[in-house]
Amino acid sequence: MVVFTFWDWLWLILYILVMVFSGVLFYALGKRSSSDFFLAGRGLPWWLPASSVYATHTATDTPMWMSGVIYRHGLTGIWYSFFAAWCAVSAYVSTRIFRRSLAYSQAEWQTLRFSGLGSELLRGWIAGWQVFMNMMILGWVGMAMGKVCHYAFGWDSWVGLVLFSSICAIYVLAAGYWGVVIADFQQGIVVFLGILIVSIWGVYEAGGPAGIVARLDQTGETWRVNPFHFSGWFTGDFPVAWFITMLFIALLGGIGMGTTFDWYVEAQRIQSAKTVRDASYSIWGGTALVLTRNALWAACIIGFYVLTPGIENVADYEMAWFRVGFEKLPAGMVGFFFATIVAIHLSTVASILNLGALYATRDLYQHYLNPHASEKRLVWVGRFSTILVLLGSFLYGSMMENITEWLIFAIWIMAAGIWLPNVLQVIWWRFNSWGYLSSWIANLGLSWLVVWILPKAGLLPVLPDYAQFWLLMLLGLLIYVPVTFMTPPDDMDHLVRYYVQSRPLGFWGPVRREAERRGLISIIDKEELHGAIS
Amino acid sequence: MALFRKDWTAHDADNWTKEDFWACVFSSLSYVLLMLGVALCFLFPIWGILTTLAGVVCVYLMYRAIDPKLRTISADYEAKQKAYLKELDRIMKWEEQ
Repeated sequence: MVVFTFWDWLWLILYILVMVFSGVLFYALGKRSSSDFFLAGRGLPWWLPASSVYATHTATDTPMWMSGVIYRHGLTGIWYSFFAAWCAVSAYVSTRIFRRSLAYSQAEWQTLRFSGLGSELLRGWIAGWQVFMNMMILGWVGMAMGKVCHYAFGWDSWVGLVLFSSICAIYVLAAGYWGVVIADFQQGIVVFLGILIVSIWGVYEAGGPAGIVARLDQTGETWRVNPFHFSGWFTGDFPVAWFITMLFIALLGGIGMGTTFDWYVEAQRIQSAKTVRDASYSIWGGTALVLTRNALWAACIIGFYVLTPGIENVADYEMAWFRVGFEKLPAGMVGFFFATIVAIHLSTVASILNLGALYATRDLYQHYLNPHASEKRLVWVGRFSTILVLLGSFLYGSMMENITEWLIFAIWIMAAGIWLPNVLQVIWWRFNSWGYLSSWIANLGLSWLVVWILPKAGLLPVLPDYAQFWLLMLLGLLIYVPVTFMTPPDDMDHLVRYYVQSRPLGFWGPVRREAERRGLISIIDKEELHGAIS
Repeated sequence: MALFRKDWTAHDADNWTKEDFWACVFSSLSYVLLMLGVALCFLFPIWGILTTLAGVVCVYLMYRAIDPKLRTISADYEAKQKAYLKELDRIMKWEEQ
């Protein structure tokens, strides 16, 4: 149990008041329109959505996860967090294309990119799935907060889950995305400072850089500070094959939309940026902060390992970063540390609440139930949806102990079999809504077969996760490529309009030529263009 | 001859060029170097600082490659955005398919 002094309580209470107040302060802006409530009126400079990307992806369970992989694998474990690098490519490819589409959400983008009944089915599916998944994620991070509060104060887990998410809902309900992004900015600063201070403290307590390396040398574990300590080409915990697969998924995934679960959060931030340039830099800058943060955590956890080696229980060493903060920081700083944890938690909760409400309001209520709803009504539906997502998260959070494995599976299937279709929908004009829809359906069935059913039946060995990825990708191809060619392409008028507005990368020759024929874009003289470049 | 083009017309900037490719390359390299560099600063300070500095150089090259093009795209697109938003509103209200 952690004992708070007067100064600890003062830090914490003052911080919560400032945070809620700064969010509520933007009430007048948030209620102006649905564009303000969900996208801050599409007028933000790049550094605001960038800080929101960083703050949102710094969740309560993230330091637990980072602690786990670094404690177990040493500095090599940092590559598990490198999936975030999809933004290195996305910032200059898919972000640019998506920002130009002006779609409020990824579900809306489906109806701009594809046409007809298939596009509407996709929009409904992705919107419903996103509302559901955002409730699940909130339940997940809420329970992580419950565990931290139980460790620190001995509270029942549900107290941490309900209390802090409810405090957060105050400013999300009042000011919508305006409240989210302004609170995220100041939370991002507090979080970065907190992580930096705890990391420096952890390394200092472990004897500083030289002390850590000397202690590891004594125990014959210097491999723990080598980020390229592979266990073989295909064998062991960290094979080269996994590393190459990770780089492939992460970097080339940036060409597509939805190749990682984080895309859906980023999509909202991309549209809230005031220009295409701001959108690109917001995604790049936010992710640069995420990766730097991971590096700070990694150094701290290696320090913790030197101080406390030999912990066998995963649940124990996953609390490493929290233990450094609560056990090593001096009295008076513990309140600041807990305020950092609250900032970490609330920044994620606020973003996910508003994101879930966006899909419920824009893609389900307005698109299918009341297309002519007034802006005032849409803002109120947004608030009502926020409450629904919050209550749903309490329900899922209370069941989370039993469904963690299922959730990991749900996120995994999301990334594996539809990774390539998420790229193809961006770069290939002929890939139609039926092809994309069939890839989702096929992936649901194939992932169950490959991950669980066939190995249980003894018809397929239990494969490492990187091998599952390649197998699911190949099996999916055998279904959605024939479906694409057996169904007609999307309506050419629709494709031309999308092409002229978004200017996608890739294989769009027939659509481009049609747009040129109609005089919607100029015909490029390639020799002239080459001359201008050189 | 400049390594990366600095002056763009709206027409040319709408196309995918070598500047986009190099921006993605330097962007990816900078992520790797910044992440490893910051972690190594706490373990092997000299190597950490050198790696981080190499990451900063990559960020600068990325910026040089892509910023002039992004500025042109943004300026051109902003002029059209209002009309596109009106069209999006009509689609949303099922007034246009």
